Amino acid sequence: MERFFKYTLTMLLLAVAALQCIQVITRYFLQIPVMGLEEVLMYPALWLYMLGSVNASREDTQIRANVLEIFLGTQRAKVVLAIVTESISLAIAVWLTHWAWDFLQYSMRVGKESPTLYIPTIYSDAALFIGLFLMCVWTLFHLVRHCRRLFSENFIDGRGTNHA
Amino acid sequence: MLESAALAFGLLVLLLTIGVPLPYCFGGGIMVMVFVGGSTMKGAMMWGFGQLASPVLLAIPLFVLAGTIMSSSGIAAALLRFVNIFVGRIRGGLGVVATVSCAIIGAISGSGLTGVAAIGPILIPEMERKGYPRAYATALVANSSILGLLIPPSVTMIVYGWVTETSILASFLATLGPGLAVMFSFSIVNLIMARRFPLVLDDPMPLNQLIKETGRRTTYAIPALLMPIVILGGIYGGIMTPTEAAAISVIYALPVGFLIYKGLTLQSLLAAGREAGTSVGSIMIMILFSLILSQMFVMENVPQKLVNFIFEITTDRTLLLILIMVLLFLLGMVVNDITAIILVAPLLLPLVDAIGVDRIHFAAIIGISTAMGGVTPPYASILYLGARIGQVPVTQVIRPAMVLLLTGYVPIAVLTLFWEDLSMFFPRLFGY
Repeated sequence: MERFFKYTLTMLLLAVAALQCIQVITRYFLQIPVMGLEEVLMYPALWLYMLGSVNASREDTQIRANVLEIFLGTQRAKVVLAIVTESISLAIAVWLTHWAWDFLQYSMRVGKESPTLYIPTIYSDAALFIGLFLMCVWTLFHLVRHCRRLFSENFIDGRGTNHA
Repeated sequence: MLESAALAFGLLVLLLTIGVPLPYCFGGGIMVMVFVGGSTMKGAMMWGFGQLASPVLLAIPLFVLAGTIMSSSGIAAALLRFVNIFVGRIRGGLGVVATVSCAIIGAISGSGLTGVAAIGPILIPEMERKGYPRAYATALVANSSILGLLIPPSVTMIVYGWVTETSILASFLATLGPGLAVMFSFSIVNLIMARRFPLVLDDPMPLNQLIKETGRRTTYAIPALLMPIVILGGIYGGIMTPTEAAAISVIYALPVGFLIYKGLTLQSLLAAGREAGTSVGSIMIMILFSLILSQMFVMENVPQKLVNFIFEITTDRTLLLILIMVLLFLLGMVVNDITAIILVAPLLLPLVDAIGVDRIHFAAIIGISTAMGGVTPPYASILYLGARIGQVPVTQVIRPAMVLLLTGYVPIAVLTLFWEDLSMFFPRLFGY
């Protein structure tokens, strides 16, 4: 999984950078702007955003404030808090994924295309549903991980942990 | 309607406090607006996702990647050696090298973490060897790294410009004046503080050797120094958009990293790609849901009602400006600068317009206020990274970091708030 994200995200980023560079070279230096290049750009860009976010969920590095955690003294309390936050996250993520599915169905029904090159927008629209769905899966994974930790570990003197 | 918006905002803050990831905090707010406020989700996803397909936002991943590539390419050593030849022989000079190098790195990268990641591993041990306490050296490098958020190009200002429909080029220039002022301020504070340390100074160099060495180090640093010239020259010369400049900086950084400084390897490129892609993904998903929530607020006329509500309490411009800055400082302490901007810029903007603050000036106020959060706990991502790189416990770094912040940064932040010319000088120079 690590390798997949490493290669995919780097390739998407480099593809976006290369397409933009072609734009600059053709427009400013060769004076022959390529039509529709900006349209093409948005496909890898949107997949980059969504897969990047999926990887952030996988690595558990989505942006958080974690203010309450600072005030919790025991490891057990921190695990309980993690279970609460992951449960809330999962409920919200599922609801949002439902609406992303609604959007995908609409997109498939309408069959919209990009204005210049007539590329079906479903190729980029699908990124939202797939991305949110995978984020739900990873959130569920972390929830299960925290639950298993709560029930399988002995929390000594309220601070350190000891594997049972 | 203001009640449901207040409830949505309240839930958002509650979820944020207990540690729910930011995209879901905004999602929770959206749920309140739908179930309590009667807003609709029909078309909301399509509209929000469509907004993400903006060429402007593409500059964010590209600047992040360019910065990450440059930090792992060995560029920092070339820059440090270059700056050191000018100020390295004066007492406290190495501290000035840290600050100025972070400013130059800031002109290459759009992030606050690049400076400490690139400079820290080389300079902190060197500063300790020359007699600086390790905790102080770490605090100075971490604090100076904030300059990456103020010296253009800045990812924060791309988001601000995009969210508030303000010129991104003008927003870049707005934080340049305060950024340079912070650089001078940190340098001066460092020179004063360095008097207390038993420093070991380099031996003076004969003039002819100095000239030869300056030439040698400058030549070696040229590829690194050319990068900000290409980026900023391209943007302000009207040749490229910020997004195109960001793409050029990535393509430029590759041969510089692989062939000239030789610090970049295929593995470090892949790691940089994963890191940049992941951090961008977590920003973009947050932007998506914050946009949908903001749009629901706008549809219910919430920002305007909020302004009316605040004006019933006070209309004093100075007091409101102070309150805005305090709010931004506090917000910057718990969330990162981009989140803070997404969270409050759309809500504060009507208020800022109503009290007659220029949106470009507000870019500087919001930029300098939230950037500080990078080194103020509990958020303090830059400080934590600095402590990890410097191998010093965070508890030891906090004190010198706060001293530097209070003496070298906060006065400039207050100056930015009340002295408009500090932030408006460069934008006006370029006709904004």
